[in-house]
Amino acid sequence: MTVTTDPVALNQWVPCAWDGQIPVGGSLDTMIFGQPIHVQRTGEDSYRVAAVDGTTERELPVQVRYTCVFTTLGDTPRPLPEIAEFDEADRRITGCGNVGVNTSPYRLVENFLDMAHFAFIHTDVLGALDQTEVLAYRTEHRKEVDEIWAIDCTFYQPAASKAATGGQLTRYVYRVMSPFSVMLYKNVVTDPSRNDAICVFIQPKRETECLAYMPMAIVDEVSTVGDLIDFQQSIFLQDRVILENQRPALLPLDPTSELPTRADASSIAYRRWLKAMDIRFGILEKQAA
Amino acid sequence: MSVARELWTGVALDDQIQAASSNPVILDGQALAVWRGEEGPVRVWEDRCPHRGMRLSFGFVRGETLRCIYHGWTYATDGQCLAIPAHPTLAPPKTICASTYPSETRYGIVWTKLDGGSNGAALPDLGPDEGWEPVRSLFVHAAASPVLEALLNCDLGQQGPVHMVAENAAEVEIGPELRVLVAVHAMDDERTALHAVARGPRAASERAGLARRLERLRDDIERA
Ligand code: FES
Ligand SMILES: [Fe+2]
Repeated sequence: MTVTTDPVALNQWVPCAWDGQIPVGGSLDTMIFGQPIHVQRTGEDSYRVAAVDGTTERELPVQVRYTCVFTTLGDTPRPLPEIAEFDEADRRITGCGNVGVNTSPYRLVENFLDMAHFAFIHTDVLGALDQTEVLAYRTEHRKEVDEIWAIDCTFYQPAASKAATGGQLTRYVYRVMSPFSVMLYKNVVTDPSRNDAICVFIQPKRETECLAYMPMAIVDEVSTVGDLIDFQQSIFLQDRVILENQRPALLPLDPTSELPTRADASSIAYRRWLKAMDIRFGILEKQAA
Repeated sequence: MSVARELWTGVALDDQIQAASSNPVILDGQALAVWRGEEGPVRVWEDRCPHRGMRLSFGFVRGETLRCIYHGWTYATDGQCLAIPAHPTLAPPKTICASTYPSETRYGIVWTKLDGGSNGAALPDLGPDEGWEPVRSLFVHAAASPVLEALLNCDLGQQGPVHMVAENAAEVEIGPELRVLVAVHAMDDERTALHAVARGPRAASERAGLARRLERLRDDIERA
């Protein structure tokens, strides 16, 4: 594929490496939106990113946040979201590396928003086959920040997190922060007044080829970072099998091509929002023939 | 050969589709889920759940229903959705229906066609259904037309002429007591499957030998 010309996609910050992936002085070749890029780690905390076309390089903006190195191809990018939990001193902040997934970025976001699959895909961990019901929740388009939120979500979970010792009714809040990033707040097993924050930032390499980064800010004094990462990755690998076998891989926005139900309210809101912003990259109906 | 959508095509040997299983098959570039309930005949559906597009060939069978693996939506043999586990008390609207293709099991082969209407030729008719034994299925890295051509000129040993019993199926008589039927199944422009069955007193004893000759035919086509 050639580089996308979709201005909506181009004007997003997307991750292109995790902080620490590249040794100081080293570099990495990767791609965003079909554009080959070169990511160099020039110092402990400094990176240089450039778009590479043959022998010419064009320097791109860089930010290091939420354990990831972000860049953008656009001139007026939508700002990165603010996620306050990453600044709380007692949080375990971890990045979990990245995982390649061959599908469009939107299928990934929708899978992350989806409670109805817990019982079937994460059986006995995030859901149980005898408690499959998704109770009503609310979705909102928060216009001030232009984000999609799903609130008042609850789901019965046999082993909701690494720290869980038994089943619980987990409360979730979901937040779609950009077309390519989403996060959830989930009540902490050991302290009901606080929420674990788990994000997914997607690096779309091509329309149906992504790398997913999963930064987390967790309240857990016991588990090691290794345990937290193992838990999250084992969940994600179960999802990947599904994600790579949905057809088509590109997201259809025509509301008649896939049939949602009430439990999909967040996916419905997300698709409506994507349609309204007229994004084309990775969208089925926007394919040039 | 590009498969006419109205043409019945043999897409599997009936005995390869196990009870309570769902299997992926490609026909003319279309992904199909070929599944069988705990009893009853084989069904051929589009390999796509109407909910969020998950492949139904990953689904699991309960009784005579197929359940999608992603969110457990459950479909009856006519494709109608019967249950949505996220909303256990909701009766699924009639509009939620998996897309199905016609399927028939004849001579030990599962036949389907992508155009569900009654246009096009009937299933090949080689007399009564009984007595046909599976030989084997095999996959050839070639388009369907060279495979058909090679089949017309093949040598399965001591045989009479090869006759086409349909645009995509051939029958060979080997001596007085052995008939072989080969269905040619275009998967896409580069891959073709052959599904062979045999009938007659020698069908069972000749099975291994016939399979070997078909493998030789495949090797010849792939070398050409
Ligand atoms: S995709 Fe099949 S049940 Fe959801
Ligand atoms: Fe999941």
